[in-house]
Amino acid sequence: MQVDLSLYAGKGNIGYAAVMMRAIFSIILILLLLVSPALAHSGSMTGGFVGGLAHPAFGPDHVAAMVAVGLWGAFLGAPAIYTLPVVFPLVMAFGGVVGIVGLPLPGVEVGIAASAAVLGLMVALAAKPPLWITAVIVGAFAIFHGHAHGAELPPGADALAYSAGFVIATGALHLAGIGFGLLARWPAGRVAVRAAGGAIAFAGLMFLGRLA
Amino acid sequence: MTAFIGGLLHPLLVSAHVMAVLALALLLGQQAPGRRRQALFVYVAAVIAGLGAIALAVVPVLAGEALLMLALLCGGLVALARPVPELLGWVLAGGTGAALALDSPPAALSLSEANVTLVGTAVGAALLLAVLAESAARLRRNWQRIGARILGSWIAASAVLVLALRLVR
Repeated sequence: MQVDLSLYAGKGNIGYAAVMMRAIFSIILILLLLVSPALAHSGSMTGGFVGGLAHPAFGPDHVAAMVAVGLWGAFLGAPAIYTLPVVFPLVMAFGGVVGIVGLPLPGVEVGIAASAAVLGLMVALAAKPPLWITAVIVGAFAIFHGHAHGAELPPGADALAYSAGFVIATGALHLAGIGFGLLARWPAGRVAVRAAGGAIAFAGLMFLGRLA
Repeated sequence: MTAFIGGLLHPLLVSAHVMAVLALALLLGQQAPGRRRQALFVYVAAVIAGLGAIALAVVPVLAGEALLMLALLCGGLVALARPVPELLGWVLAGGTGAALALDSPPAALSLSEANVTLVGTAVGAALLLAVLAESAARLRRNWQRIGARILGSWIAASAVLVLALRLVR
């Protein structure tokens, strides 16, 4: 079978990167648009570790934002690559406490959807603000994610297993983002990571549009 | 023998206990060997004291919540990855040991069975921390240390959520 390589000829990594970028952008976009953000933070959850583990995974807006945190961390390199996954769950827990206590936080779903849009945009634009600003941006959005989870945390004996499950799931999503974000070490990978950020930002805008 | 095994496995089977001991172990793993051993000694002494109190029919109050609070503190300190003052290390180790012991009343039918269970719990709790702390101390590569910090933050996050849930609802 003959494969037409003319697309790549003479363009080096950039031609390949452009194709890769388009493919990744399309795949992520299709996956994210196939699911509804309304699934993310509504209804009751079953308790236990598996319930907690599954909760973030079935919220596409949450998934998009968590992956974006990992992507951005990997894109920025050390120390952001490990600071952001440390900051996020700690601040998220603070937001969770606010949700458990029952303090109202306006615009939770908007904040979650906006987190995907903003964090994705940061990756797409290859933004490199100082670490503390990055941590503040990520931490601010973590409060919305935490509030949504905290308000839905089921009472009872399984609460610890449930919360451990969803914190681990959140961390795993960060790691997935970091894993993909490490491709940014190579020129083609850098384009691919930025494309993924763009796709997440676009999906975030779609989530916001559906909430309007 | 069954009572001893039951007591031995008890700290491994209660998720809050595992989480608190793991957080303390990660914290001790970040400290110098001398301080680690001192804290381990304080922890074992506190476990024995706490189980002794259980044997003397002391009814613990909020031991589970105290354990979660200590897991939160230890996890947060692991995430910060800063050297811990000696006294604070002792307080955290002693507090965790005592809270774990007080949160482990045996459900035995006879007094002798209950005492054997408590001995098993003491051995299990001591072994669990010793093994985990020594393992944590061997996390010397950069990525391993980062992993420990991330794990510490996860433990702190889980602990604060459950603590809030228990105290509010």
